[in-house]
Amino acid sequence: MDPNQPVQENYANPKTCFFHILFKAAGLAFYILSALFIDNFVIIFVVTVLLAALDFWVVKNVSGRILVGLRWWNEINDLGESVWRFECLDQESLARMNKKDSWLFWWTLYLTAAAWTVLGIFSLIRFQADYLLVVGVCLTLSVANIVGFTKCKKGALLKK
Amino acid sequence: MSLTDTVPLHASSQSDIDEIENLINASVHSGPATVLPARPPSPPRAQIPPVWDTVKRDLSRIVSNLKLVVFPNPYREDPGKALRDWDLWGPFFFIVFLGLTLSWSASVKKSEVFAVAFAVLAAGAVILTLNVLLLGGQIIFFQSLSLLGYCLFPLDVGAVICLLKDNVILKVIVVCVTLAWSSWAAYPFMSSAVNPRRKALALYPVFLMYVSVGFLIIAID
Repeated sequence: MDPNQPVQENYANPKTCFFHILFKAAGLAFYILSALFIDNFVIIFVVTVLLAALDFWVVKNVSGRILVGLRWWNEINDLGESVWRFECLDQESLARMNKKDSWLFWWTLYLTAAAWTVLGIFSLIRFQADYLLVVGVCLTLSVANIVGFTKCKKGALLKK
Repeated sequence: MSLTDTVPLHASSQSDIDEIENLINASVHSGPATVLPARPPSPPRAQIPPVWDTVKRDLSRIVSNLKLVVFPNPYREDPGKALRDWDLWGPFFFIVFLGLTLSWSASVKKSEVFAVAFAVLAAGAVILTLNVLLLGGQIIFFQSLSLLGYCLFPLDVGAVICLLKDNVILKVIVVCVTLAWSSWAAYPFMSSAVNPRRKALALYPVFLMYVSVGFLIIAID
């Protein structure tokens, strides 16, 4: 916590924030530590990608709605065309969103993507194609959420 | 683009909107006294029921997609409708499962087998979809990825059987049967997406990929 700022509002949804961070941190930590301790690539791959997929699901379905009031999805309409939907809550509810929650939401998203990019550069330098595959999958999932929620946010700002 | 009016989409979306409103009301009530919301306040809900509902919704979607793609059902005549609610979780599980099964069966180079199986299946699905799109076909990228992933289910079953019984003749028979099943599952979607004259061009690579996976299953020692 920041001792310099007066504590005006706490996190409104601490449990959601916790889960939002949990799978990201677990995935990164497992990937980094496992390279030191575990010799079995299959386990590293499956566990890391599973954690990344869980994180993707949590961010898209739970913390996106609760922490920042945004959501996005794809649906296929009656004409058989693919339509991407980006929704936000009305301005009044958006204004009531906890600032700390949304700060945490966005910054952990960006930091995770940056961390995976750095890890990807490492495995690129070392010519480890299989680890690059792991990083590639995790990075794709992170970036997908970033792009989706950024589009929601832009739509929300436009409406202002 | 960003709408907040309650346009009824699917039943699940409607319940999501209600969930958001309830959660907003709950967090408003838990904070300092603020302006009361225009809607009648609902009882503050624990966050666990909504999450569980979402999980159940996604799981049931995976099961229903699987049934639509792989098993005979009346919707197969209209492929666009069948996989309307595409998702990539099912394909993800099936690809990982197939990679794991192949890796388990392998006595050497387990890691390479897994990595190669995963990469080939994932890249194969993407390339097959691009193939259809480049042939001028009408197909939606993610819907096609989803379909090709679900069609791996029979091969998963075949791989498990081959893992349990190490008889070569049995393996060949099982792989042929599951291969035919996978191709049968993929056929209506792929063929209806392209011009009838180009059907073979679209279907041949799909069949080829499933044959290669079949060979992998048989050849793994």
